[in-house]
Amino acid sequence: VSGGIAVLLGLLVVAFVSSMLVGGRTIRGFGLPSGAEYLVLGVAVGPHGLGLVPRSTADGFEPIVVCGAAWLALVAGLGYFIVGQRRVRFVRAVTGILGAAFVGTLVAVALFLTLDALGISGGFPRLELALGAGFVGSETTRHTVRWVAERHGARGPLSDWLADMARASALVPVVGLGILFAIAPDAPLGAFAVWWRVAVTLGIGVVMGLVAAVLLGREFRRDESWGILLGTSLLAAGVATRLGLAAVATLFAMGLTLSVVSRHRLEIKFMVQPTEKPVLLPVVIVVGSCVDFDTLPQLWLLVGVALAARLVAEFMRGALLAAFLPAARAAGPRVGLGMASSGAISLALAFTFSARLPGPASSTVLLLAATGVLLGEFIGPAELRRALERAGETHAFDAASDVAPLSLPSPALQDADSELPERTVVSDFPEGR
Amino acid sequence: MSSAAAGSKGFGTRAVQALALVVTFFLLFAATRLTPQLRGQLGTVAGFGFLLLAGTLLSELLETIGLPHLSGYLLAGIIGGPDLLELVDHHTVEQLSPVNTLALSLIALAGGAELKLSTLREVAKSLSYAMFTQTVVVGVVMTAALFFLGRFVPFFAGLHAGPMFGIALLWGVLCITRSPSACMGILAQTRAKGPVATFALAFIMSSDIVVVVLVAVAMMLARPLISGSGGFSLHAVSELGHELLGSIAFGTTLGLALAAYLKLVGRGLLLVLLAMGFALTDFLRYVKIDATLAFLVAGFVVQNLTAQGPKLLHAIEQTGSFVFVVFFANAGAHLNVPLLQKFWPIALTLCVIRALATYVAARISSRFAGDEPMLVRWGWSSLVSQAGLALGLAITISTAFPGVGDGFRSLAIAAVAINEMIGPVLFKFALDRAGETRREEAEISRTSLLPPAQA
Repeated sequence: VSGGIAVLLGLLVVAFVSSMLVGGRTIRGFGLPSGAEYLVLGVAVGPHGLGLVPRSTADGFEPIVVCGAAWLALVAGLGYFIVGQRRVRFVRAVTGILGAAFVGTLVAVALFLTLDALGISGGFPRLELALGAGFVGSETTRHTVRWVAERHGARGPLSDWLADMARASALVPVVGLGILFAIAPDAPLGAFAVWWRVAVTLGIGVVMGLVAAVLLGREFRRDESWGILLGTSLLAAGVATRLGLAAVATLFAMGLTLSVVSRHRLEIKFMVQPTEKPVLLPVVIVVGSCVDFDTLPQLWLLVGVALAARLVAEFMRGALLAAFLPAARAAGPRVGLGMASSGAISLALAFTFSARLPGPASSTVLLLAATGVLLGEFIGPAELRRALERAGETHAFDAASDVAPLSLPSPALQDADSELPERTVVSDFPEGR
Repeated sequence: MSSAAAGSKGFGTRAVQALALVVTFFLLFAATRLTPQLRGQLGTVAGFGFLLLAGTLLSELLETIGLPHLSGYLLAGIIGGPDLLELVDHHTVEQLSPVNTLALSLIALAGGAELKLSTLREVAKSLSYAMFTQTVVVGVVMTAALFFLGRFVPFFAGLHAGPMFGIALLWGVLCITRSPSACMGILAQTRAKGPVATFALAFIMSSDIVVVVLVAVAMMLARPLISGSGGFSLHAVSELGHELLGSIAFGTTLGLALAAYLKLVGRGLLLVLLAMGFALTDFLRYVKIDATLAFLVAGFVVQNLTAQGPKLLHAIEQTGSFVFVVFFANAGAHLNVPLLQKFWPIALTLCVIRALATYVAARISSRFAGDEPMLVRWGWSSLVSQAGLALGLAITISTAFPGVGDGFRSLAIAAVAINEMIGPVLFKFALDRAGETRREEAEISRTSLLPPAQA
C-alpha cells in the first residue's frame, strides 16, 4: 500500500474523529480554539519532527490542502454575516475590517523595514514577505471569542462586538491574498492590469455564486444541492488556480454572494458548516508538516519582529476600542491582545501562498503564520477572558446549559429562522461533509 | 435526482439550467484558452467541478427528451473531454481515476446490498436459466462472429486459424460482461420497481462471479492457441480459487464489521465509505483479492445477515450522488473518439450481433423458465450496457497477450463505447415501457433506500 494512501487514510481518520467531536455536544469549550494542537501534531509527524510524513508526501497533498483552504474560505464567506443565529452588525463589521487592516499594515510595515535594514532580499520577494506576513497576521479567529464566551459563560455587548469584529476580520487576509496573487510577477494573466486580475479573482466567485444561487433557488433538494455546490465551488477554485489567482479569495466571494442573494442561505450554511472541522483539522496537520524552519538567515529575528509588531498593533487597537467604544471602556486597552489569536484561516492562507509562490519568502510567511497561531493561543484566550471579566460579562449564564451565548436571535433573524428547514431535514444532511 | 422531481420542473427551471450550463462551459473554455501553457496545473480540481456541474445540468436537460441521466453525464464528458473541446485534458482524466475506484467500490457495495435473499429466491429459476443461456449463447455467438468477421479486423491480418480462434474466444468472454454501474445508475435515477428491475439487478450483480471465472478459464485456453507454446496449467485455476474464496471470506468479514459499525456508531459514514473506497481497494489489490467481489459480498452480508441494510444503502446513496456523476462523466471524457471513428463499422456490427444474441438468449431462457410477459419482452434490455468491467478485462487481456493486445484493446474500447451510450438509453426505455418507473411510484423511495427513521 503506497505511502500516499496511508497518509490519506490517516487524514481521513483525523477528519472522522473531528466530525465525531463536532457532532456531539462535547465540542463547546473542547480543545484549543485555534486548533494549535493539530498544528503541533503536524510539525511532530513532519520532516522536522518524527519524519513520519516526508516532505515529498506532504507536497503530494498540496492540491488537496489548497482545495481544503478554498473550501474553508467558502464556509467563512457563507457565514460571514451571521454569528450563531443573529446577523453581524454593519458598524461592528466595518470596525473589525478596519482593525484587521490596521494590524496587518503595521505588521507588514515593521517587517518591510526590518528586511530593508537587514538587506536580506530586494524587489518582489521583500514585498511578498512583508505583505504576506501582514495578511496572515491580520486575522482574528472567530473561534477564540466563541470559545472563551462559551467556556466562561460570557454574554454582553463587548462579547457581541468582539465576535462580530473577529468574524469580519477574515475579509482582510482573504482579499489581501487575492491582491498579492494578482501582483505576482509570474501571473499567467500577466497581459492584464492588476486591478483587472483582482476583479477576475472576485468576479469568478461572484458569477459562480450567482449560478449556484439560481440553481438552488427553485427548490432545495439535498442530493442536488451537494452536487451543485461542490461543482460550482470546485470549478471556481480550479479556474482561479489555473489563472494563477487566489482560489481562497474566489470562493470567499462565492460564499459571500450566496449568503447575500440566495433565499436558501441558511439551509446552505447549515449544510456546509458541519464540514468545516473535518476539513480544517487535516489541513492544519498537513500545514504543520510543511512548516520549514530553515528558510532565511536571521529567520528568528524576523519572526520576533512580526510577532512583536502584531502584539503592539493589537494593543493599539485595544486602546482605540477602549477610547471610543463604551462597552470596551472597562476592559481597557488589553482587550486588543485578546484579539491576537489567529487560526486555521491564517494557516490555510499561508499554505496557499507558499504553494502558489514557492520560495524562501512564502516559506517564511508559513512559519510566521504557524508561530502566530501558537503565540496567539497563549495570549489571546487568556487576555480575552480577563477583558470580559473586567467588562463584567463573564458568568452571565451557566456554561453547562444548552444556551449558546452568542446566538441570541435578533428580530431580523427570527424572520430568517422561519426559512429554516425542519430539523429532520437539517439532520439528514450527510455527516462530516 | 428523481424523475418525479424532474417532472415537475417547468420551462423557467430548464432555461436557468441551460444558462448555467453555458456559463460553466464558457468559464472553463475561457480559462483553458487564456492559459493553454498551464494545461494540467491543478486542472483536476477544475475538471472535477466541471464534470460534476456540467454532468448534472446536462442530465437534467436531456431528461426532457426522455434520456437517462447517465447519458447526460457521459455526453458532458465527451463534449468537454480531450477529443472535442479539451476542457478536461488526458492528464486530468487520469488524475480522476481514484474517483472511478471509489465509484466502483460504492457500486459493488450498493449492488450487494440491493440483493435480498428473498428476492433472489423469487427469481432464482429465471436467473439460473438466464445465466446459463446468456453465457453460452452470447459467448459462442460472439466468438464465432469475430472469428468469421476476422478479415475486417485490422489486427487479424496474417494470423492463422488457431490464434484467430484464441482471440475470438477472449472476445466472446468479454462480451458476456455487463455494466453494474449503468444498471445501478439507471435504477437509482428512476427508482424503478418491478420484475425487469429486479431481474436486471440480480442478474448483473451475480454475473460478476461468472465473468471472473470465465475470463480466467478463457485466458488459460487461449494462451496456447495464440502464443503457440505452453500447455494448460492448473496453477491458474488454483490461483483463481484462492482469489474467489479470499474475496468472499474478506467480504463477509467486512460486511459484518460494517454492520457492527452501523449499529454501534452509525455516524461519519461518508468518511468510512471514502476510506473503504480508496484505502481498502488499494490494500485488496495488493493482497490479490478481487475488490469488486469483496464489496459485493460485504453489501450482501449487511443486507441479508443484519438489519443495517437500509442504513448502508442510504449512506451510499448520499455519498454516491455526486461520485457517480463524476464517474460517468469521466468515462465519457475517457472515450477515445478518434479510435471510435476508426473502428466504428466493425465495432457497431459486433455490437448489433451481441444485442441480437442477448435478445435471442433472453427469449430462450424466458421460455424455459416460464417468465412473466413483461420480463420476456424487456428482460434483455439491461444486459446490453458495458462499461468499466469490460474495459478492465480488455486491459488485462491486452497485457497478457502483447502481440495482439493493442488491437484487441482498441476494438474493445470502441465496442464498449457504443454499448455504453446505447445500453442505458435502452434500459431506461424498457423500464418506462414496462411501467416500472411510473411517476406515482417514483415519488416514493424504495423501501430499501429509505432513511432509517422512515424505514
